[in-house]
Amino acid sequence: MALTETQSGLSRARRGVAPGGPGTAPVKRRSKLSAQTSRTFFWLLLPSVVLLVLIHGYPLIHAAVQATHDGNLLQTGNFVGGENFSTVLTSPAFWKAAQFTLWFTIVGVFGSWLVGLGLALLLRTKIPAGGTFKVLLLLPWVVPIVVSSTAWNWLVATPDSLIPSLFRNLGLGTPLFLADPTLASITVMVFKVWVSFPFMMMMISAALASVDSTVYEAASMDGATRWQQFSQITLPLIARSTYISWILMTIFCVNDFPTIYLLTGGGPVSATTSLVVLAYRTVFQDFATGPGVAIAFLMTMTLVVISVILYRQIRKSSVE
Amino acid sequence: MSAVLHAHPESGPALGVDAGKPRKVLSEAGQRGRWWRFTAILAITAIVLVPIVVTVLLAFTPGPNSTATGLTFENISNVFSKTLAATWLKNSLITTLATVIISVAVAAPAGYVLSRGRSKAVSGYSLLLFVMQSLPIITSVVPLFILFAGMGLVDNLMGLTIIYVGSTMTVATWMMAAYFDSIPISLEEASWIDGCSVFGSFTKVVLRNSLPGILSTAIFSFLLAWNDYLVAIVFLRSNEIFTLPMGVQSFFQQNATDWTSVMALAVIMMLPPVIVFATLNRYFSVGGIGGSLAGR
Repeated sequence: MALTETQSGLSRARRGVAPGGPGTAPVKRRSKLSAQTSRTFFWLLLPSVVLLVLIHGYPLIHAAVQATHDGNLLQTGNFVGGENFSTVLTSPAFWKAAQFTLWFTIVGVFGSWLVGLGLALLLRTKIPAGGTFKVLLLLPWVVPIVVSSTAWNWLVATPDSLIPSLFRNLGLGTPLFLADPTLASITVMVFKVWVSFPFMMMMISAALASVDSTVYEAASMDGATRWQQFSQITLPLIARSTYISWILMTIFCVNDFPTIYLLTGGGPVSATTSLVVLAYRTVFQDFATGPGVAIAFLMTMTLVVISVILYRQIRKSSVE
Repeated sequence: MSAVLHAHPESGPALGVDAGKPRKVLSEAGQRGRWWRFTAILAITAIVLVPIVVTVLLAFTPGPNSTATGLTFENISNVFSKTLAATWLKNSLITTLATVIISVAVAAPAGYVLSRGRSKAVSGYSLLLFVMQSLPIITSVVPLFILFAGMGLVDNLMGLTIIYVGSTMTVATWMMAAYFDSIPISLEEASWIDGCSVFGSFTKVVLRNSLPGILSTAIFSFLLAWNDYLVAIVFLRSNEIFTLPMGVQSFFQQNATDWTSVMALAVIMMLPPVIVFATLNRYFSVGGIGGSLAGR
């Protein structure tokens, strides 16, 4: 049903942009071509629609069923209404994970933005071998998380690892980066910033590249200070891509599983358990499918709202 | 430093004292600033790359039971001869290549429709794709696990590929659409006048001019499939079906003290994305995920 709607919508749309533009091409040829166009469009779109329904649509509906039933991975079980949701919403573990996810996201988004912005601004100026640095600084984002989390583990995990030893030699004690709840949370967030800042750097660099440098020359002629130039020219000019990158990074942070799971497994004493890690453990380690899927569903709702707002914002700004 | 600034007070734009004054010594100050910035970026890059440098160094350092001295390829050859590394590498390559090819094959036509179609249905589908890409994969993973278990696709590279294609196709379609937007429709119109069909003009005119867009979509799919851990940990059960992320991880847990072997495998795993980025970086930086979303 959705497909026929798409098809008729396309043919309607196609008539408006028929070859030669409206009014120039003969009417007969135009309508023939638009029927052909809509048929072609239908077939071009079909594989994508099939995949979307199979990999996203069907699982979402099935997940809704599981979230409202008391079954397990093998059986759906009985309908229990909102019981799983109330179980989840009244459990301290959920709220603890939600709180950690919130902090993880805030630090992840703004930490990586600040670092990315600083480096993008620095790399925008003339620096010897600037291009090489730009590529090297992308590495944390390019290297697989499994690899970098292994390296980070080697650097910080035990008291004899490189960085704790360094602290000891400097007379700062021996911090247990992954065994202390607060330090482990900080370590995971720093790791996330380390992984994500190249993405922000790329986004901001791309936005800065389109800025005409004469704008700055004119501003400094008028006596604008460096800070005024930054806050009144640079920031507004990169506002749109900053806005988009914040919301994208929010989605990346909320959905992030491997960064946390590989470094700490959600520990110590679930100090670094985010909502995704909690959902994974609830389903695949505690075998409580209903509550686990309910957690995932609550995240889904939040993210749908965020992405619809984002989508509207992008549409709006591309019309301008 | 401050003495220098006193000698040339007008040369310090960073201090904000140069308002309205002619900047005679700007080039000299600019030179100095250039080297200062170079040192800063060098230091930052060095710190940022410590985990990666450590990985590479350890991979080539003789292991605890080794008689070798200096840097050695021993760890790498040991990992291949004594573990399933070759199988994991092969599994990762097969899955990733299949994902890249199918993703582009699905996303390019769909992206074309998204780019050229102007209707509520098309923008509705575009919104749907956008919302779907932001959803946590963990929500779909449980139902898909049950569905795939019934079809024999659990612990199976084909099952893994299907899910990867499913999760890349949303963003990949947007990326292709953003690229097609930059190709003028007049090119197609010319081919239609010559009697070309819509499909013909799509393949012969549009696709033929879309190599950068296809490459950046391919790189995106490649990174996603090559790096994935969540889907792999849920769907892969047996050692010989593992992809590299699972291999490194299993290895890491079993041989927590044998860091040199873990790092040898880690280096093997990070090599392909690094090579891809080193050679194709310019395509990605323009048409990256962010850029493509920003361009719509």
